[in-house]
Amino acid sequence: MKFSQKTFKTLIVILVIVVVIFILNIFSKNVRNFFYSVSAPIQKPLWKIGNSVSDFLGVIPWIKNSKQEFEELKNENQELLVKIAELEGFKDDIESLKNALQIGLEKDFKLVMAEIISKDISDDYILIDKGSNSGVLENMPVITEQKVILGKISKVFKNYSKVMLISNKESSFDVNLFNINDEKKDISGIVKGRENFNIFLDLVPRDKDIKQGDVIFTSKLGGIFPENLLVGEITEIKKNDIESLQEAEIKPAIDIKEVNNLFIITQY
Amino acid sequence: MKSIKILLIILFIYFLAVLQTTFFVHFGDFFNFILILVIIWNLIEESKKISGILIAGIGGFFLDIFSNGLIGFNILLLIAISIFIKLVFVKYVRLPILGKI
Repeated sequence: MKFSQKTFKTLIVILVIVVVIFILNIFSKNVRNFFYSVSAPIQKPLWKIGNSVSDFLGVIPWIKNSKQEFEELKNENQELLVKIAELEGFKDDIESLKNALQIGLEKDFKLVMAEIISKDISDDYILIDKGSNSGVLENMPVITEQKVILGKISKVFKNYSKVMLISNKESSFDVNLFNINDEKKDISGIVKGRENFNIFLDLVPRDKDIKQGDVIFTSKLGGIFPENLLVGEITEIKKNDIESLQEAEIKPAIDIKEVNNLFIITQY
Repeated sequence: MKSIKILLIILFIYFLAVLQTTFFVHFGDFFNFILILVIIWNLIEESKKISGILIAGIGGFFLDIFSNGLIGFNILLLIAISIFIKLVFVKYVRLPILGKI
């Protein structure tokens, strides 16, 4: 079998591409770390500018609906005032309990602060500016300062890490439900990712009474995250007569686009 | 002169990838600007030229660097797309509105 010169050249080019890709994958951590180091000074300000611009553009449709929203907020405000008055009674108890238990982010966990650099274009992953040099390891939970769970470390480079957000399709973890009006419910379920910062509650038995507005916290079951980190709030319940389990849509407690600083729990 | 042109193109694609993952990501993940560039470039380029395929390879490389998967996935995908456009679209479909560069 004779190869023409053109076929031979094409085969050589394909072989070179395959070899280069193979080598790049062997050294992928170093290659990525190099590009992230070069890009970080540009990426950080661009992320913040994008954040500001999207906030500004988000205000325009809000102005249109502001009158109706103002009325709703006014009503909500009155309801909250009533709630505050009720909660005021518990304030002293909570303060003394807090002092006794020494509740606080730094006291609960050992933390490393990090900044977001970029987001993966196809999946729900973000890149942060702390890596193995700062003691970050794979599977460490990532939270905000309000104790809202964001995700877990999926890949660690020297100075950078990839965080798999809870909205990633591969993400699932155990949670507990809580209603502000009831006592703590004995309901647990699994929160799964649906991409594009969307999450949903799954595997809740049909007979369990879940309501819109129920607040979801992480559970230590499964050992992925520490317990009592805020996940979000139920917005819509989906159950039908055929299935023995029910699902619910969740509004995440925080929008990743609004987050700049986050914390990696290195020990809990 | 040619090497400067190539360097500028590589820098342009790099900044496109950086912009995509930092700035445009706040407005949704609907557009992949590097994919759009590769498609447009290959559509308007003569079928015999190979710069469209090179751009696909470079663009794919930067997409791989800033994404979570294996390095090579986007490189091969974009190269395949550009070859497909060259072989099928440009060879068999004539678009009079598209000029030659």
